[in-house]
Amino acid sequence: MKRSFAPSIAALVLTCATIPVAGHTQASTRRVITVVAERFSFTPSEITIDAGEAVDLHLKSDDTAHGFRIAGVVNATVPKRGHDPLVVTVGPLTPGRYSFECSRICGAGHHFMRGVLIVRDKAGASR
Amino acid sequence: MELHFNDIEAADPVVDFHRFVLIFSHGFTSRIRFMGELELEHAVVEGLEEKGEIELEQAYLDFLITRAFNARAGMVLMPVGLINERHEPPVFQGVERPFVDTVIIPTTWFDPGVGVHGEVGRGFRYRAYLTTPLNAFEFSADEGIRNGRQQGSNARARNPAVTGRAEFVGVPGLTVGASAWTGRSTSDVPSIDVRVSVAEADARYHRDRVELRGEFAHVSIGDAARLNRTIELQTGVSPNVAEALRGFYGEASYRVWAAGPSKDVVTFVRYENFDTQFRMPAGFLPLKQFDRDAWVAGATYYPDPDVAVKIDYVWQRNQSAVIKAPNSFNVGLGWWF
Repeated sequence: MKRSFAPSIAALVLTCATIPVAGHTQASTRRVITVVAERFSFTPSEITIDAGEAVDLHLKSDDTAHGFRIAGVVNATVPKRGHDPLVVTVGPLTPGRYSFECSRICGAGHHFMRGVLIVRDKAGASR
Repeated sequence: MELHFNDIEAADPVVDFHRFVLIFSHGFTSRIRFMGELELEHAVVEGLEEKGEIELEQAYLDFLITRAFNARAGMVLMPVGLINERHEPPVFQGVERPFVDTVIIPTTWFDPGVGVHGEVGRGFRYRAYLTTPLNAFEFSADEGIRNGRQQGSNARARNPAVTGRAEFVGVPGLTVGASAWTGRSTSDVPSIDVRVSVAEADARYHRDRVELRGEFAHVSIGDAARLNRTIELQTGVSPNVAEALRGFYGEASYRVWAAGPSKDVVTFVRYENFDTQFRMPAGFLPLKQFDRDAWVAGATYYPDPDVAVKIDYVWQRNQSAVIKAPNSFNVGLGWWF
């Protein structure tokens, strides 16, 4: 008798699709934005997301440890070059412009390290 | 912090604790910030600059208004060149700073000033300051305008100077900038208040293991003939100051070991051309020993991204048939925290 494997394969595929993989299942549903910190700039220094959207910021440094602070939202240390990026989930936020900056003194031009997170409403405005 | 061993041809080798730097910061509010940088050079201060000096390189207040427009006042770094505002030892290759950033652009160049800075979007940013001028009475043939920095020490402010820089940092790894500084110099002798202008352009790009850098700088000194004659009348010696100084360099570096923290080695080679007698005023001949170029090659080991163990060799030449430019072997230890 010829045995069909089709039902078994279908069951395996369904099973695998629903097994959560630690640290990845949630992240895969969010947009990832890589931000590079380097004396004395963030690149990009302007990040735009939609209201209601949560994004994962992958913060990596090309040199020393930097800070990443959005007042009232996040304040974290970006590890030095050679380490894994710091992943910070930001949002959902109400529309507006949120300044971010380096919060850890990183050298003579530390105060130049600033940027802006723009949260657009559904009409595309940031208020 | 920078500790150096310099073995220069035809001279005794020296060990010099070149720079010990303390940085202070304070936030009065989220919009009013203070930054200070105090530097001790050559370890000991005994009243003469030849022994050592303490420099207040930065001490300013930032008034943060908008992303595009902020005000700054106090002792500020001139926004000129690749090194002046970004001079922590782990971020540049070579034990000593590039020659161009020493004798053409007088790094570390700081003076009291007031100005604005900001980022206008898409990676474009700027700074512009009104500052105290240079003292042309201290200019020289070999080091150009370097000794004319007043450094905020009872600085004569008869003639304000202006300086500015526009910069693009919108692409990861790329920085492209252009800077300018201009002002009439000031000294005890008003008749030598000559105009001095500095124009500079630079670029820096790194991707994966490779980094490339280049810088070009040009200094013009107005009425240098009158400046030389006036100083000769005062001191008995003409400083033979040029009416134009020029320098440029290109550098390539490659991270030969990039296996993470403590397994991190960069090798580099740099060619520099720097002439502090580039164009002379009528009636003055250039001193050819100050028309120089140099090859610098070496390596930096980073046991930590903030700690740099450096080694290099400098082959230096000049255009003089009589005076030889010295080569040197250098070892440095630099760190920052």
